[in-house]
Amino acid sequence: MITIQGLSKSFTTRSGERVDALRDVSLDVRENEFLTVLGPSGCGKTTLLRAIAGLVPWDDGDIAVDGAPVRGPGPDRSMVFQNFALLPWATVLDNVAFGLRMRGVGRAERVERARSFIATVGLEGCEAKLPGELSGGMQQRVGIARALAVRPRVLLMDEPFGAVDEQTRRLLQEELLALWEEHRMTVVFITHSMEEAVLLGDRVALMSARPGRIAEIVPVRLPRPRSRDAGGVARSGEYAEITAYLWERLRDMHAEHRPDRAHRPDKVAS
Amino acid sequence: MFRNASTRPNTTTPRSATTPRRAPTHRKERRSGHGTQAGPRPARPAGPLRRFLDMNLPYQLLTFAVFATGWELYARARGGLLLPGFTETVRATAGLLGEAELWRALYVSNQALVLGFALAVVVGVPLGIALGRFPLLERYADVHLNILLVTPMAALIPLLVMSVGVGTASRVVLVALFAVVMVIVNSRAGVRQVDPALIEMARSFGAGERTVWARILLPAALPAVMTGVRLGLGRAVTGMVLVELLMVSDGLGGLILTYRGLLKAPQLYGTIAVILAEALLLGAVAHWAERRLTRWTRPNTSRTRPARSQR
Repeated sequence: MITIQGLSKSFTTRSGERVDALRDVSLDVRENEFLTVLGPSGCGKTTLLRAIAGLVPWDDGDIAVDGAPVRGPGPDRSMVFQNFALLPWATVLDNVAFGLRMRGVGRAERVERARSFIATVGLEGCEAKLPGELSGGMQQRVGIARALAVRPRVLLMDEPFGAVDEQTRRLLQEELLALWEEHRMTVVFITHSMEEAVLLGDRVALMSARPGRIAEIVPVRLPRPRSRDAGGVARSGEYAEITAYLWERLRDMHAEHRPDRAHRPDKVAS
Repeated sequence: MFRNASTRPNTTTPRSATTPRRAPTHRKERRSGHGTQAGPRPARPAGPLRRFLDMNLPYQLLTFAVFATGWELYARARGGLLLPGFTETVRATAGLLGEAELWRALYVSNQALVLGFALAVVVGVPLGIALGRFPLLERYADVHLNILLVTPMAALIPLLVMSVGVGTASRVVLVALFAVVMVIVNSRAGVRQVDPALIEMARSFGAGERTVWARILLPAALPAVMTGVRLGLGRAVTGMVLVELLMVSDGLGGLILTYRGLLKAPQLYGTIAVILAEALLLGAVAHWAERRLTRWTRPNTSRTRPARSQR
């Protein structure tokens, strides 16, 4: 579905330092797969997503969606943003319809489709509200509805629940899972939370920082539909196992960047 | 902003039906039923008096009354032809409003004001937006803009009159010069403040450069642009009067000079009062327009009720 081969991108910081945001990243995302990308901050996972979205150029390598090389943003992909990126002057309805408007969908159909997706994310009755009148969780529901409204083949989610509180995050995760059960599509989901990566993903692409690389792809063979309820996968031993393993790997990556802690852990406390 | 109770539409209690004094039991019922989402409640439901005291107007009127009384007392104690009291000024102002001389002056002055201010907006808004969007342009213009920002504009008046002449043109140019800096600086700030995530969002849905301008940049910059226009209008009025006072003896400034020459102190004060009234009126209109166009910048104050006890 999405084929990424030898993707590299570097940039120069203001201080003149050259940073490899991505180095030789190769990744295959399967049709209707939910892939989560996990890594320490600054590992280039957002850059990877923006490259797939066609929003940033890269230095080397190829990205193709369904065999068609990515040259820029396209109607087959849509994105959900970390800080929602809603137009503060536009109503919920207009925000959800924004993507459709960009794609040249006529007014009547735009409104109808926007309304149906507003209902999908459970925001009926909020059509005329402004984003500033909604809570963070509701705002991101608008962001998700906007992305779904254009009926993409690939949904790109950039730490979509990173800016909401823990309780809201859990609610949104469960809603996203239910939504995905109903409308299967290919999802690339960036996160820095091990639990989120495991709960949502079919596979977890673990990235390391500086240079940004895929360190390992961890399959999550937990049955779906998944939930946190009693008997749900989030309470299973395997879930805990994978989460713990991911954390071990991440902790090692963090340690690599702090040699003093890696070699003399006994000195950390002082 | 909307602190006065009368402008809060979505209050959870039917406030018009409540009176200041209520039986305690009744009050309790009311509060337990409604008061959870809008924060802490005042101990008593607001009545007409409470609402009146919540507005800014009574306090403003009070300070004005103190000022007017002080003025009147000082003028009476000091006496003399050159210092009219408050009441005398009010009478003179009313008298002036019936004279063609004043209306002619108003017309002449406002001609320069309207033309100059329009020029400032037409030039300043696009220029400011361009400066905010294109850093290269900014490199050329930044230092000049700063000079314009700190220069006492009044010092430029003689220079301008000498180079442009004493006609309407020099007054228009001066009004524009006074106003344009505010318009440019605020428009520039408005475009700079636009959240880059919004632009990226639009691009991700396939928006081109023109669409990004029309759907993201311009609407997002509008509040700051409107602030610049409002501040610029205030400066334009200043420029209008200054140029007439200092160089081109015409319009309202000219009228002030005439009354001063004739030692008609009450009329002199009256003219100033008219200028003040115009400035206040224009300011109010600009403020209203700004609020109308940028309602989305304060969804929480214009639609839901702020908790009074926290202020």
